Amino acid sequence: MDEEETLLEHMQREGMSRRTFLKYCASLASLMALPPTAAAAMAEALGKAKRPSVIWLPFQECTGCTESVTRSHTPSIEGMIFNMISLDYHETLMAAAGHQAEAALHNAMKDNYGKYVLIVDGSVATGLDGAYSCIAGRSNLDLLKEAAPGAAAIVALGTCASFGGIPKAKPNPTGAVAVSDIIKDKPIVNISGCPPIPVVITGVLAHYLTFGTLPELDALGRPKAFYGETIHDRCYRRPFYDQGKFAKTFDDEGARKGWCLFELGCKGPVTYNACATTKWNDSTSFPIESGHGCIGCSEPDFWDAGGFYKALSTPANPLKYVGAAAAIGVAAGAAVSVANRASKNAAKAAHEKTELPDLEK
Amino acid sequence: MQSINEIPVHVLSPDEMLTGQAEAVLSEISDLLGRLLATGEAGSIDLRSLPLSPADRDWLDEKLGRGEVEIALEAGGRSDLHETAYAGVWKVTHRDTEERVVAEFIEVAYVPAILRPASADIEQAHERLQASLKQNS
Repeated sequence: MDEEETLLEHMQREGMSRRTFLKYCASLASLMALPPTAAAAMAEALGKAKRPSVIWLPFQECTGCTESVTRSHTPSIEGMIFNMISLDYHETLMAAAGHQAEAALHNAMKDNYGKYVLIVDGSVATGLDGAYSCIAGRSNLDLLKEAAPGAAAIVALGTCASFGGIPKAKPNPTGAVAVSDIIKDKPIVNISGCPPIPVVITGVLAHYLTFGTLPELDALGRPKAFYGETIHDRCYRRPFYDQGKFAKTFDDEGARKGWCLFELGCKGPVTYNACATTKWNDSTSFPIESGHGCIGCSEPDFWDAGGFYKALSTPANPLKYVGAAAAIGVAAGAAVSVANRASKNAAKAAHEKTELPDLEK
Repeated sequence: MQSINEIPVHVLSPDEMLTGQAEAVLSEISDLLGRLLATGEAGSIDLRSLPLSPADRDWLDEKLGRGEVEIALEAGGRSDLHETAYAGVWKVTHRDTEERVVAEFIEVAYVPAILRPASADIEQAHERLQASLKQNS
């Protein structure tokens, strides 16, 4: 692509109409929780933007984040991310391998020094001087320290890069840490989730291109537009919580009626993410819509938070109560502990086999 | 559990899934219509950002009904725009090329903004048409 060409020109040259672009901006504005009327202003700014160079480094990860972003794209709205950026290095996606791939990385870093966006997925292993995870004979720790200084901004994609994730779960054999534990002098956006919602990364890049800055972040470095509210606050089952209608087991009347899953261990009240609005699998549904509680995968240390099927009011450190949920949670604490035991006994009486929730309590 | 047929199946009536939130959307639409009349300013409600149950959505669709205008927009996937039974209240559903819904709005406007062609595009169209006329003559 011509360096001076704007994003809109590039898209129009590829046969995309202005209305398609407007539609794209309308859906992005919706995802970014901007007022719907902001789409026009966004289209204007985004249309004039130039594509930034992006370098993507995979560290101690399962490739789930890459899967999440790429599997959902062809040739949808999210797919336009690849029109918006110049993806100069991504081991899993690039055709080049070995020395050629390393050369591409170094060229991109040199040519765009100070301007490229660095995306990291996976945690950084620090044990044994980083020897647990190496690429081309060099540790992730080394690679990150080399790539970070020339980056305009760093995107930590997924819970591993954002907070350490599953590699950091107890007993953390590799000494896994988050990107922000290593790099202290660069703006870092954490896009947590296991995996993260693909459109969130499009949204962050679109924001960067539209406004020339990173979006507003919460205390954990996550973009507020997507992580500003809890799953609980945007959950379509929330009214049942307010009415005190709860499913007590996964197959009782309440479960069939689609009542709130709080007592079955849903972590929605303490989990900040956009699943309830953007949804998953081509916008089909999200876990709660399928009848299972939220496991809190976009929060730090979710794997060690005390059991996916334990109701929140039984202490579930390090997940913490917040806002209104705190007051209700604390007040209901003792009652739900009793409820946990009671439902365990009820489940025992009702089922011949011991089931998952029985084991958790 | 002896066989799969013994698993009881209970079909919910739509009323059981109504949360009452759609009613609030309806009054917001009414406010936006009032504003459109008073100031000419268009408004929009992003349906996907609201915690509505499927039954709430059906309820809202039913309440709004359908008017005289139906528009299909083919731009990076099909979009459906239709006027509801209330003049000036439009339901806009954008889909991508794989038919997935990517955005859903209630637009309160004389005409949804996306329909109006941009001046630059009309300029280009004019040039193209003139060139085509020249070629033919």
